[in-house]
Amino acid sequence: MIVGIALMVWAGVHNLRARRLAMQKAQENHVELIPGSAGQPGKVDESDAGDEGEEPSLRGKAAPPFSLTTLDGKKVSLADYKGKAVLVNFWATWCGPCRVEMPWFQEFQKEYADQGLVILGLVDDVDAGNAAIAKVAEKAGVTYPILLTDGKVQKAYGGVDVLPMSFYVGRNGVIVEETAGLGPKDQIEAHIKAALASSASGAPSGGQ
Amino acid sequence: MRWRLAVAGWAMAAVGVSPAMFALQAGTLPLPAPAQKSYVLYVAEDHDVHAGKRTVLELHFRVADGYHVNSHTPKSVLLIPTDVVLQPAAGISEEAAEYPSGKSYSFSFDPANKLSVYTGDFVVKVPVVASAGAHTISGKLHYQACDHAACYPPKDLPVQIIFTAR
Repeated sequence: MIVGIALMVWAGVHNLRARRLAMQKAQENHVELIPGSAGQPGKVDESDAGDEGEEPSLRGKAAPPFSLTTLDGKKVSLADYKGKAVLVNFWATWCGPCRVEMPWFQEFQKEYADQGLVILGLVDDVDAGNAAIAKVAEKAGVTYPILLTDGKVQKAYGGVDVLPMSFYVGRNGVIVEETAGLGPKDQIEAHIKAALASSASGAPSGGQ
Repeated sequence: MRWRLAVAGWAMAAVGVSPAMFALQAGTLPLPAPAQKSYVLYVAEDHDVHAGKRTVLELHFRVADGYHVNSHTPKSVLLIPTDVVLQPAAGISEEAAEYPSGKSYSFSFDPANKLSVYTGDFVVKVPVVASAGAHTISGKLHYQACDHAACYPPKDLPVQIIFTAR
């Protein structure tokens, strides 16, 4: 039961706003984020879990447009996927939690591609070099586009000071959900379904 | 002989260390003003040393509760090691820094992947020989922190060591 409760709490804490508040509180020594031991989920102070439900900063807003290049030099823009549901995932080669969820994304890409899902992996540490980035992506089994960030896109998406960070963009170009940190696989799938379920009508300007 | 160690004040302020506490530890350095998030702070300490003799300088760092940083020897080339980088200073010869062994850590979602990390307090030792007189060594601690479910971009924590060897 304790493990179950801890899992529920952990599942809720990756919300972006919650995480930012948690970071702020941790820095104020008001809350302790206690890493879980091997095989157990991390435990979070109740006050931290209570932040769940805060509105993320970009949710409900038009996804900031971007145009970036892939590892093989191809130009890719968010606008290329108008009418699709797009998962914009920021990651880095040095980020362990990122590498855990990337195979999940690959599974979801295959499962939901026919319904209009597109996954874009935006690598944060471009200085790692294309070869290292490609190696990590290959090891994770990723075939969806890996885009090289330019610094501007991170700023447009709120700074991306936590990784992994994901934005689930609906068919109308509006961000349906955003998460920071690794969340449960079924919750990622739920966010994907929410993005796919969004209407393509009423697309805002500037994004897709 | 006393070595006075000091660190930029913003790093302590970022993790909640009081200005009074910092003043007790950091001496009278002019401090950089801008605030910045930091997951590691430097705990300044005084050291008694003799000029012209080899002295092992201990640099004490503290990782904020709930976070960890990679050790100096992480178990994957992809991970960013914790490094102390000190600039050469006149009248001081430095040997290679000595780092503690990391603690074994696994993310709960990836228990089979054992990491080598620092949590809580850790000490980096820097053997030096200094000539008599006042000295300042500037440098940084390069690290990359994570908590139980997320990671944060690499950061540099400025470190400034001020001492007089007599």
